[in-house]
Amino acid sequence: MTEVDSPTWRVPPRWVLLVAVLSIVAAEVGGGSMARFKVELTRWARDGMLARPSVHGLVGVRDVDERILDEALVKFDAGLRLFHMHAEGMGLVIIATTMVAATVIRQDAARRAIIALLTTGGAGYPLGYLVWSALIPSYGLERSKTIAEWLVWVPFGTATIVALWCLVGVVAWRMIKS
Amino acid sequence: MRGNGRAEPAGFLLRPPLVLAVLTALVTITSPAAAHHVGSYVPGDNAVTTNFKQVKFSVQAKKYDVALRLFDSGALRAEMHAHAATLPPGLEDGTRAALTAGDGPEVERRLMIFFAALSRDLALEADRQIARPEATVETRVATGRKFLEAIWRYYNLVDFAVATRDNTTSVAVRLAFDEAETYVKPAAGGAAAPDPAGIREPLQRIARALSTLIDASSPSSTTPRRNS
Repeated sequence: MTEVDSPTWRVPPRWVLLVAVLSIVAAEVGGGSMARFKVELTRWARDGMLARPSVHGLVGVRDVDERILDEALVKFDAGLRLFHMHAEGMGLVIIATTMVAATVIRQDAARRAIIALLTTGGAGYPLGYLVWSALIPSYGLERSKTIAEWLVWVPFGTATIVALWCLVGVVAWRMIKS
Repeated sequence: MRGNGRAEPAGFLLRPPLVLAVLTALVTITSPAAAHHVGSYVPGDNAVTTNFKQVKFSVQAKKYDVALRLFDSGALRAEMHAHAATLPPGLEDGTRAALTAGDGPEVERRLMIFFAALSRDLALEADRQIARPEATVETRVATGRKFLEAIWRYYNLVDFAVATRDNTTSVAVRLAFDEAETYVKPAAGGAAAPDPAGIREPLQRIARALSTLIDASSPSSTTPRRNS
């Protein structure tokens, strides 16, 4: 019986579990704060947007600006919600995928690299939504999205996807060999 | 037990095909990295358009007492009050009187005048802002696009009422609106680049057509202009 076929799971390193749990805790704290400080957060975002009319393309006519502000506030709120959901979900994904990696990858270096990618990618990606939301009042919808994409979503998302494909490849290779 | 982990009997979960299927599903739903879900925005009604619809549907159902209550306490009346300087005199009081008297067509006519006036004022303000020489082309195009959205949001509510009273104005406004939109649309597939200067003429046409409509339909005027 090979190691893969052995009916045992290997628990990933403790730091990985700690990161995953912290991600879930951050999600819960974020979700709770969203509800508790909804008015304050909305006021802060609205004040930030009104302080930078040119960034948001405000024209000084309420009938026009109202919709621009409304859309930005909806997206600001969506960013916080998406952070909450992704941080919660990615915490579980980190635990599940690193457990598979710890179990099926024999080579130490490869296993460590894939676990590191899965953990950093999984924990970092949700922060992109928080960054996006936080930047909306200062940089506007599109520019803040671009910043979050290149600073967080693309590097951390790519890390997760690359690591997952590697893991898929390893498992497939083991299947073919056996 | 191996390494730093705790061993548990879970044979069937460790079957490579199952693990592979789960991992493939995971990697498929997380790809591609660039397609980040950032939520969508569906524009809703504002306080004025919401109150207009409430009053309109109450009038259509002949619930004039409900319509009057909604008008008295809603944003429509407050907005009429705020725009009194640019509206035909007595529009607010006349609307209230029509609601009290249960005169549905008169309520509709006065609300049509109100929204036509709001649209006209927005068209005039858009023309003024787009004419500013210090603004960049992109800013003027974006400004034009936003004003057109706001104009249509209001005019669209009363276009049917306008068309039934003065279809020439209705067609003129819609044609001018369509033309104005072509100047602020992003260039694609060989189309002409957005032209903020070009939008001014159709905006002025919208303002003129609506001014004529307001003058012809204002409370002092009693003969609606119907062209068919």
